[in-house]
Amino acid sequence: MNIILLLIPLSIVLLAAGVYALFWAIDHAQFDDLDTPALAPLTDDRRDPPP
Amino acid sequence: MTACFHCGEPIPAGVDLAARVGDASHAVCCHGCAAAAQWIAGLGLADYYRLRTEPAARPDEDAAFDAWDRPALQRMHVREHGGSEPGERRAEIVFVVDRLRCAACAWLIERALASLAGVAEVGVNAAARRVRLVFDPTVARLSDAMRLVARLGYAARPLEAAALDALRRDENRDALKRLIVAGLGTMQAMMYAVALYAGSFDGIDVATRDFFRWLGFLVATPVVAYGAQPFFRGSLREWRARRLSMDTPVAVAVALIYVASLVETIAGGREIYFDSVSMFVFFLLAARYVELRARHRAGDLVDALARLQPATAERIGDGGTETVGVHELVAGDRIRVAAGASVPADGTLASAACRVDESLVSGESTPRRRTTGDALIAGSLLLDGPVELIVRHVGADTVLAGIVRLVTRAATEKPHLARDADRRTRHFVVRVLVLTAATALAWLALDPSRAFDAALAVLVVSCPCAFALAVPTALTRAVAVLARRGVLVVDGDALEALARADVCVFDKTGTLTTPRIEPADVDAVRGDADRALGIAAALEHGSTHPLAQAFRAAAADLALPVASALRHVGGAGVEGVVDGTRYRLGHADFAGAADARDRLVLADDAGVVASFVVRERLRDDAADALAALAADGVALDIVSGDATNRVGDVARRLGIDNWTAQATPRDKLERIRALRGKGRIVAMVGDGINDAPVLAAADVAVALAGGAALAQAASGILLAGDRLDRLMPARRIAQQMRRTIRQNLTWSACYNLSVVPLAALGLIPPWLAAIGMSASSLVVVLNALRIGAEPAPRAADDIAQPVEAAS
Repeated sequence: MNIILLLIPLSIVLLAAGVYALFWAIDHAQFDDLDTPALAPLTDDRRDPPP
Repeated sequence: MTACFHCGEPIPAGVDLAARVGDASHAVCCHGCAAAAQWIAGLGLADYYRLRTEPAARPDEDAAFDAWDRPALQRMHVREHGGSEPGERRAEIVFVVDRLRCAACAWLIERALASLAGVAEVGVNAAARRVRLVFDPTVARLSDAMRLVARLGYAARPLEAAALDALRRDENRDALKRLIVAGLGTMQAMMYAVALYAGSFDGIDVATRDFFRWLGFLVATPVVAYGAQPFFRGSLREWRARRLSMDTPVAVAVALIYVASLVETIAGGREIYFDSVSMFVFFLLAARYVELRARHRAGDLVDALARLQPATAERIGDGGTETVGVHELVAGDRIRVAAGASVPADGTLASAACRVDESLVSGESTPRRRTTGDALIAGSLLLDGPVELIVRHVGADTVLAGIVRLVTRAATEKPHLARDADRRTRHFVVRVLVLTAATALAWLALDPSRAFDAALAVLVVSCPCAFALAVPTALTRAVAVLARRGVLVVDGDALEALARADVCVFDKTGTLTTPRIEPADVDAVRGDADRALGIAAALEHGSTHPLAQAFRAAAADLALPVASALRHVGGAGVEGVVDGTRYRLGHADFAGAADARDRLVLADDAGVVASFVVRERLRDDAADALAALAADGVALDIVSGDATNRVGDVARRLGIDNWTAQATPRDKLERIRALRGKGRIVAMVGDGINDAPVLAAADVAVALAGGAALAQAASGILLAGDRLDRLMPARRIAQQMRRTIRQNLTWSACYNLSVVPLAALGLIPPWLAAIGMSASSLVVVLNALRIGAEPAPRAADDIAQPVEAAS
């Protein structure tokens, strides 16, 4: 059962990492707009369209 | 009849225009759409037509954009930063795009703006309809960007409530963070709890058990201290205000369970509930987050109304009128406002008289009459006009600005359905707290060791959440479903009325039919037909009535004279001076012609100049929409200001027995009042300036949006995209919402009545109580999510199909 002494702190570290990552994502506007970016991959990327 | 490639509206007969997009040629309805489509293709952005889910808006031609370059307007809205070197200067502006309808629109605007020289960065948010533009002010001009947005068919407005936006964003992020902490914390706490449950069945040594208990404490602490903070704050606020709602029992329960578990952990007692308390907090936060999102969406609608204040105004100077930014106006300026437009600043009326709709400002939608010297409020809609006014207050001093400051509060204002549910929740909470105390006291007298468990069980199992969530979840779900299907609910109470309505009154022109005037149908009595048409179109300049639009469309290719001293007479016509001659345009009686019953007549003081035949086409979707309503037991009624034979003809073709023709606005109002007096619930469907007071008098007002801006302000429900066939599906959803609310209330009442006595008798352990509570809330939420679960009818091609199945 000694393995839990390693695994449980590990789970806590992962938990903290997960919370930190999600907080970072929220603060960097990843959840502010959920509709527009969904279309981005569907469009052809043309940097300089003809005038 | 084909639909316009760009805006999706039917192409009028006789119009033969095409736009080349890619390799194909597509039919379009007007020169504006042709130009927009070709221009979009020319930019290499034809993908837009492939990606979009909603037809585009018809482009507006005649907005003034140069005012955007004026320093005074820029100072208000543009923030400059970056280096002082010529190439490094950056200016940033956030503006709202009014007709942004889908993500493809966002894509189109983004690409088009990015193609402008000097634009450094473009961000478009489709959900919030915001565009953030960063540009080099030495290279790019703001007016070019605005003109570009307008050429795409959208209307851009500066963002007045930037601070409010930031507030919403922070609120959203905050709620999301708490939800994540609670969610992840709950997952971990439950895992440790599983180990403990397994241990209590198979045996576990005390050290390991305590180790897991302390772990549970470790993960539950942030959930309670951070995640549940809103509940503690809320209950504190309620306590100070001597009110009770949902927050108090939640906060009391969370604090009790948490402290009790901690005490048990330290003392090595029997049972801990760190997993239950985390789950409890998580479910509550999840429900709150859903509510918050819905509230923000509703807030966007409120915003749209608050932003009725135009960005530019027509100032009258020594040398005629010039278009200036609203923020350049100073007290004492003389400005001119057209009929159907909104007033840009607070001021006093300089013209003789007019009617205004101040529903935005006062909530009172009856038009008010104003005479010379009376105050006009910025943001109110002018019904007759144009008028001139003297500016008194501008910008942040206006009444409207004060209202924008109150939008935060307005967004939280609830319809009476929800207020009702709140009151019921409050009573319920008081009873639960009393019952908890009674249970604790009774058990203390009988068996003190079980008192705490039993009291906790009562507190937790009696679920005020199910009660509190019953109405708002159903309401917000219904509003969200309808918004996705092109029906905008401005007023929550309107939905209930729509579900219960048993009479539906329609206006004719612009609602059931679309009027059209052909240049060939002009009978000139004196002078030239084109000239008469030009005068008529000039008289109708600035009006949003469907007939006025028909005149302007007919005269689109003509050079228009300028009309002055315009005066609109509701339900009759318009009067004004063109080239020194006073003309009247309207019904035969108004214009002073004896014959010509079913024609519109243009007359001057010497008599009839010309008469116009108005051709009407029944809307494609009118017959189906009305048949569906009739099948649902709704009595149909037409009230129109038009001539008897024409109204009768439309009524016959639609199979409607009750109709009134030649009705003045007063007659229409009387008709609605009479119906309501008989105890019937009246839905009024209309469009146009004549309808506004009538719309306001009905139990529920439905307006075809895209028509007159005014009708939008006066109605509770908007059918976007001018589509009547969305009315019946909207009614179905509203009825489903009422049913769901009834089910939810019944369910939570039954649940509480059955479990609370068991808990009070000590038969339910707190962990089971927590599961029961969560489950009962979940049932309510899931039940609400069933609203609109059956697939929506296809938006574009459902007209030809039989009435949608089963719903």
